[in-house]
Amino acid sequence: MTDVLTAIDDALDTGVAADDDPLTRELQELALVLREDAPQATPEFRERMDWRVESGFQKPRGSRRAWWQPLLQPAAALALTGAVVLVVALAAGGRSGSGGDSGGSSAGPALATDDSGGGGRAAESDSGGAAAGPALSAPKESARSAGGADQAAATVLPPSGGGFAPGRSNRKIERSVALELEMPVDEMARVADQVTAVTNRYGGFVLNSSLSTGNDGAGGDFDLRIPSNRLRSAVRDLSALAEVRTQSQTGRDVTREHVTAKDRLRAARAERRSLLRRLEVATTDEEAEAIRRRLDLVAGEINGLRAQLRDLRLRTDYSVVTVTLASKDGESGGAGGGSFDDALGDAGSLLVSVAGWIVRGLAVGLPLGLLALAGWLVGRVVRRRQRESALA
Amino acid sequence: MNEAFAEAVPLTGTAPTEAFTELYERTFPRVYAYVASLLRDRSAAEDVTAQAFERAYRKRRAYRPGRGSMDAWLFGIARNAALDELRRRKRRAVLEVDPEDTDARAPEEHAELAVRRETVRAALASLDGQERDLIALKFAGGLSNGEIARVLRMSESNVGTRLHRTITKLREACHD
Repeated sequence: MTDVLTAIDDALDTGVAADDDPLTRELQELALVLREDAPQATPEFRERMDWRVESGFQKPRGSRRAWWQPLLQPAAALALTGAVVLVVALAAGGRSGSGGDSGGSSAGPALATDDSGGGGRAAESDSGGAAAGPALSAPKESARSAGGADQAAATVLPPSGGGFAPGRSNRKIERSVALELEMPVDEMARVADQVTAVTNRYGGFVLNSSLSTGNDGAGGDFDLRIPSNRLRSAVRDLSALAEVRTQSQTGRDVTREHVTAKDRLRAARAERRSLLRRLEVATTDEEAEAIRRRLDLVAGEINGLRAQLRDLRLRTDYSVVTVTLASKDGESGGAGGGSFDDALGDAGSLLVSVAGWIVRGLAVGLPLGLLALAGWLVGRVVRRRQRESALA
Repeated sequence: MNEAFAEAVPLTGTAPTEAFTELYERTFPRVYAYVASLLRDRSAAEDVTAQAFERAYRKRRAYRPGRGSMDAWLFGIARNAALDELRRRKRRAVLEVDPEDTDARAPEEHAELAVRRETVRAALASLDGQERDLIALKFAGGLSNGEIARVLRMSESNVGTRLHRTITKLREACHD
């Protein structure tokens, strides 16, 4: 077979069929006829083609494809879709990332609700008369009866364990607000004064405070207690003092604890009254002594419950407001332009941030890229088969 | 074999246009002959040949010497364009009718040779599409077996086997 093919190639090279074997020679002649019989282009076509090649296949005006037409190609469409998804994913990732920077606080006026604990504690006793009611009505109830002008500022979700007291109109809510204010270093002292002034104006008090404006870094922390019914106005005024970097609010429904403590106090008082009556009619010293001992115990219980109620009332009547003062980025206390260590830290943060974006991009782009590659390969095979089918 | 197998000039260089012109000069008659053999239609063959060269010109920077000769690359493009045309027109590349006389022969052409040509053309009609494609690549396109293997994406030995089988079949068809 190889000899025959070589002989055919020889004949094509020399243009002569001269093999000794008649069969091979016949094949050589056949090959020569096939080559000589090949179609030839007309001189006119050749001329046209020469001109087109010389002109670099320039297309006549108006025949160019519109800029958007390539976008209709499947691969381009897929790539475009992938890019859009990537951008959306990155945007979403960036937003969640900024929220995470604030140590669990949600950026802006978002609201976080802490319902841990409430359910567990309330489940300990049923003496508060908290009958199992329609759970879904509780949030509406609590929002309606939160008893303050600041209902909109803190919406309380029901504790997951059902530890709330449905049916109560006067709900007891513990609230806390955390504010992080950002300002130039030279304004920090003024803002700190105003924080105290706002607190006083709304009838609150400063529980703890610290302020630093030295060269080692400026900052301040204020632990405030503000009457719950004036919380919203107070937070509004505090937020107006400087640029708010983060703000978070939490609320916890302690109505059940309050009701339980009150009922137990009522029961303890009733028991004390009963004991006192029994003491009056006691006939023996031993009986009187036993009643007194019992009275001491009940008195202790009453004192404890009173303290508990007082503490609950304080926690619900006054909201915890934490204000953190921070200098604006790139500024440190009196240092002017920042130190080399700061620059190094910033560079590190920037690198971590960039790496995060790259990882997010890869997380979205890699599967999409693999899908696109698989699609392209399958498309290629299909296209090839379709083409080959033209010869079938 | 012929001038077509001259030293290939890379298309990717300082003067790609010049290199392309050289490729065009070297291969134009063979590309046209191959496409016309496949399509059996002068007008369509001209369109497809022009299209193939234009595609090759626009994609000339995509040519990689490591993946075969320029001729094989160009014939791959021409083949794809021809098959697309065949598919588009939903017709088969066959010699079911007497082939178009694409080049008028001189009147003094020997009568015996003319008869032989007709016999071969008729025998070609008995081949299937893939066999005709192979014959066209080899004798109209003037490609080596290695280049045909590149174009058809098969091994060179497979091309040799199929070529031998096809030309033998063609010879037998000429005797029928």
